[in-house]
Amino acid sequence: MFRSWGQSLPDDDHLLIGRANGVTFRRENKTESYVVIPPAYIITDSDGGTWTFGTEFNTYGEINVLRNDVDTGEFAQRIEYRRGVVTLYGRAGRRSFSRSRRHII
Amino acid sequence: MAGTYSLTSAGITVVNAVVTLTFVNAPAAPNIDLCFRRFWVGQSATTPSTFNQRVQINTQVTAFPTLVSATPTKLAVADAASVITGATTGAAGTSGINASAEGAGTKTVIWADAFNATNGWLLVLTPEEIIEQAAGATSGVGMHFPVATGASPNTLNWAFGCIWTEE
Repeated sequence: MFRSWGQSLPDDDHLLIGRANGVTFRRENKTESYVVIPPAYIITDSDGGTWTFGTEFNTYGEINVLRNDVDTGEFAQRIEYRRGVVTLYGRAGRRSFSRSRRHII
Repeated sequence: MAGTYSLTSAGITVVNAVVTLTFVNAPAAPNIDLCFRRFWVGQSATTPSTFNQRVQINTQVTAFPTLVSATPTKLAVADAASVITGATTGAAGTSGINASAEGAGTKTVIWADAFNATNGWLLVLTPEEIIEQAAGATSGVGMHFPVATGASPNTLNWAFGCIWTEE
């Protein structure tokens, strides 16, 4: 069952499962700290949420941020995973995905 | 005939050898130019091994690779269809993926990098870096693995593609 960008796709309990560019991505572990998009293509968070860039640009050259192929409504220049937290960097400064998996602050 | 187009594939098994993943060849002149803005590659399967893989963006003159035909997809519904059509030959005005033969044409490397298969690789070109291929060019633009991935499961479930605008 797919329940918006707060939930991964639990078709196998021991795997972290997400979606990117229309494809299901399965991982045994979350992404290591300090991985940054770009040059990485995806970041897998501890829920299996798969973070990628979309194809929309804003006027500042930032790209829309997707989690499990769902637009988060945020634009950024890079996405970093560090100590279990997804952080977006861009013109609006630094924003992090909340521990509750509900907000980007 | 202007818009943004994607050549994308997923769940692809590549050969355990040097392999062209995507190849796009501009149409004969007079026509519009192709401006490549993004390339990506990643492996969607569970990958307990975190192997590293080299990747290159290149141009290649004839003889072109032998490909699996793949037709570009427009990103905006309102856009016209791409001037590029799917074909296996790599000839002018065509595109394809996952080459079964690399072709004897010389590859000129534009961009060389390496990545971890678990994290994948994304190249977003800044405006100054955009790779432009003019109509009538004698070469196509490809993305390829210059070295073999290693045996299965390293060859399995690759997802890759590129995005360009036609201007």
